[in-house]
Amino acid sequence: MISLNINGRSHQVDVDPDTPLLWALRDELQLTGTKFGCGRALCGACTVHIDGEAARSCSIMVGDAAGKTVTTIEGLAGDIARAVQDAWVEAAVPQCGYCQPGFVMAATSVLGKNRSQTKEAVLSQIANICRCGTYDAIRTAVAIALGKLNPASAEPRKQESAK
Amino acid sequence: MTTDRKPSRRGKIARRTFLIAAGVVGGGLLVGAGTVIARLSSIDGYKLPADDGEASLGAWLKFARDGKIEVAVPHQEMGQGIYALAVLLAAEVLRLPIEAVRAVPAPVHARFANPVVLLDGLPFDGHNDGLFQGASVWTFDKILRALGISATGGSTSTRNIAEPIRACAASALDMLMRAAAEKFGVAASQLKIADGHISIPDGKSATYAELADAAAKLPPKTIALPLLSAGTYVGKGIARADAAAKTNGSARYGIDTREPGQLYAAIRHSPRLGGVLQKATLREGLPGVRGLVEGKDYVAVVASSYSKAVAGLEQADVVWNDAKALSVSTKDVFAAYRAALDKGASYQPRWVLDKAGDAASSTGRTVAATYDAPFLAHATMEPMNATAVVTDKGVKVWAGHQSGYLAQLRAAGVAGVSADAVEIVTPYLGGGFGRRADLDYIAKAVEIARKFNGTPVQTIWSRAEDMRDDFYRPAAMADVSATLDANGLPSSFLYRIAVPSVNDQFVKRALPAAMGGVLPDRSTVDGAIFSFYGLRNRSIENFTVDLGIPVGFWRSVGHSLNNFFFETFIDELSVEAGIKPIDYRAQLLKAANGTEAAKRASAVLTRLSRFDAATQLRPGKPGAKAGRGVALSECFHSFVGQLAEVEVDGRDIRVRRVLAVVDCGLAIDPPNVAAQIRSAIIYGLSAALYGKVDFDNGRVVPENFDTYPVLTLDDAPEIVVEIANSGADIGGVGEIGTPGIAPAVG
Repeated sequence: MISLNINGRSHQVDVDPDTPLLWALRDELQLTGTKFGCGRALCGACTVHIDGEAARSCSIMVGDAAGKTVTTIEGLAGDIARAVQDAWVEAAVPQCGYCQPGFVMAATSVLGKNRSQTKEAVLSQIANICRCGTYDAIRTAVAIALGKLNPASAEPRKQESAK
Repeated sequence: MTTDRKPSRRGKIARRTFLIAAGVVGGGLLVGAGTVIARLSSIDGYKLPADDGEASLGAWLKFARDGKIEVAVPHQEMGQGIYALAVLLAAEVLRLPIEAVRAVPAPVHARFANPVVLLDGLPFDGHNDGLFQGASVWTFDKILRALGISATGGSTSTRNIAEPIRACAASALDMLMRAAAEKFGVAASQLKIADGHISIPDGKSATYAELADAAAKLPPKTIALPLLSAGTYVGKGIARADAAAKTNGSARYGIDTREPGQLYAAIRHSPRLGGVLQKATLREGLPGVRGLVEGKDYVAVVASSYSKAVAGLEQADVVWNDAKALSVSTKDVFAAYRAALDKGASYQPRWVLDKAGDAASSTGRTVAATYDAPFLAHATMEPMNATAVVTDKGVKVWAGHQSGYLAQLRAAGVAGVSADAVEIVTPYLGGGFGRRADLDYIAKAVEIARKFNGTPVQTIWSRAEDMRDDFYRPAAMADVSATLDANGLPSSFLYRIAVPSVNDQFVKRALPAAMGGVLPDRSTVDGAIFSFYGLRNRSIENFTVDLGIPVGFWRSVGHSLNNFFFETFIDELSVEAGIKPIDYRAQLLKAANGTEAAKRASAVLTRLSRFDAATQLRPGKPGAKAGRGVALSECFHSFVGQLAEVEVDGRDIRVRRVLAVVDCGLAIDPPNVAAQIRSAIIYGLSAALYGKVDFDNGRVVPENFDTYPVLTLDDAPEIVVEIANSGADIGGVGEIGTPGIAPAVG
């Protein structure tokens, strides 16, 4: 049994310490919002926060996550997370949507370190993959989130180009 | 670029000298006259099943217990927004707020067949409305509807369901009005409708839900349905209901299926195509491992969790039999294409269209070029997976797929039961792009679950399995040549392509009882064959060359190849003629003598031209060249023009910005149309810049996103979408952005 702190609660999981955290979350704890995409930390669909830092759970072993604070998309909370998720909906980002929890986790982590970065700075720190090509919408969403988090110095919003 | 273009006989062409024109960018949404003609027969004969407390209002609509109206959608939601579109159309006709309507999966039933997807593949010129074609399409429509083949693909979802949903909604509203007239004892003309209420002048009113039971008992009447045109929601769009769930992790995909007692399987296929499993042995005593399944060309280990199944598979002793394995490598494929195009050995063109009249007598400058394009993987974000339980009574499958009909058929075939005994549950798809039209992953999941009777087993493919056992966009090679007259316009045009037939292979896999290979496969020449340009003495030849590599439907199918070759060659001609590519295209369109297709393409081209003139090209960084490339596409009855702004620094190609002008007839939900165009362009650009699946002695080379790179936020261009509604019949949207980006960049 390994003890994991997930979303503010302690869980005992009966897995080998070399099990990727992703599968402990999905199969043992039924937290399926964290997605499997590549298994090699290449796509970011499995992004969680470990001690507040974005991490790719497919390539982090349960043994290494023990004793740390893990947050998944299901446990995401706070004003930054709310701003990001609201922005994602407002900008109508998701298409198939499979990769989006990973993007939300990545964006929230980046903004959590500094909520008044430029849009470009935020985007440059997100290296996830979306096969539906929602990148333009994600750029818009990040701008909206920054506007929500920095009401005084909101960047002008990009006009929807398809009128 | 991985889509290699061999230099034409004149050597390298100085590209990106592109484009001057005058004018300003036209903006704004032009909502054209509606064009959908109501086919009221679509409301007859079948009623959506209703449980206790529900009330069916025809084939497509019913009241749910909570008073909301449910619209049945026979297409899978794989990102294209078809659920939102169904809600939009039903709410528009029923005059309801969007929140009062929700989309639900339609039952797997012949009533919800999608003939459009197959009709679009018939080998007829889409521009010709001749009697023979009309009669044939009508006949096929009847046959396909009778077969009840449901499918999500070919950019057909909206075209397939928009009209019947509207007709059913109009009929339902009429039934509600009649029920209200009876309830209040007034003539229907005195009734007023607002916000889900029907009221009479003295103030009495009833909600739709209160009238539902009475309305459901009334016989449907034929209702005159107004043509589809701009309305409360049509032409404006609505917010997708799935955005929040897809952002907070609560949306369920096939891979998120969690049934009580469920087991998990990890699967590995033969490393070489065509290889089979000789023998596989489990290592004993591994925790959680429940067993091993030997398939024909795969082995699977089943365990209490996926990671335990993977551990079991990694430690299993597996022997493959390569006696019948393919030994094909990429170079063999292109050599075979070359041989076919050179008419070596036994190759004859399978299909010759528009055989050039007096091509031989054309004189003047000849331009010739050879192009090739690689195999491509789909790489959906959600790897292939399916969950199945097999019991004595039948089979239940949870999986994302692009055809409930074929899923049912495949599962039934594997389990040895009738199709009626198979229930398919379809959660969201984590991407389709044509991959989930092939249902091998469902067949294998059922085969594996069969060994664990009564227990649901979820089979998950690793990314490597997903990439190495795909049905690839075929590689192809084309020889294109033309003779130019004194004005630089082609007096003859010869287009010859060597490529395997996706349809032949697919029919063999999916419907072995049907005869594949009888009709020519239109997809092999889609994008070249029905050109909107006026080209004299045009000849199109297709050589089917199949070395056994599995090929399948990949976003836009044949258009992704032919539009690239064809439009790139048009650029070469324009350079030879000394005319700017946009102007050259304008001249070729003028030469088409006012055909409908040429008019629509011209309107799109004009907007590109205006944008180009009005928008200054930013210089590249020091040492880099910047330029713009153009391409026109017609596919799935829609037109797209693209202008790509490209920066070339040595071997580095960066696409900075793309303008796409779209004419899909009428954009019902313009923001979603724009989202789909952006999506398709990114998909096509990932392929054009990075995509390549190589084969080495029967092995698939790439196996993950490091060896099969795709665009990310860092290199994805900004894409500006302009919608230019022509008012023509509604065309497809989901795939139409893909073909044009490679030639616009290339």
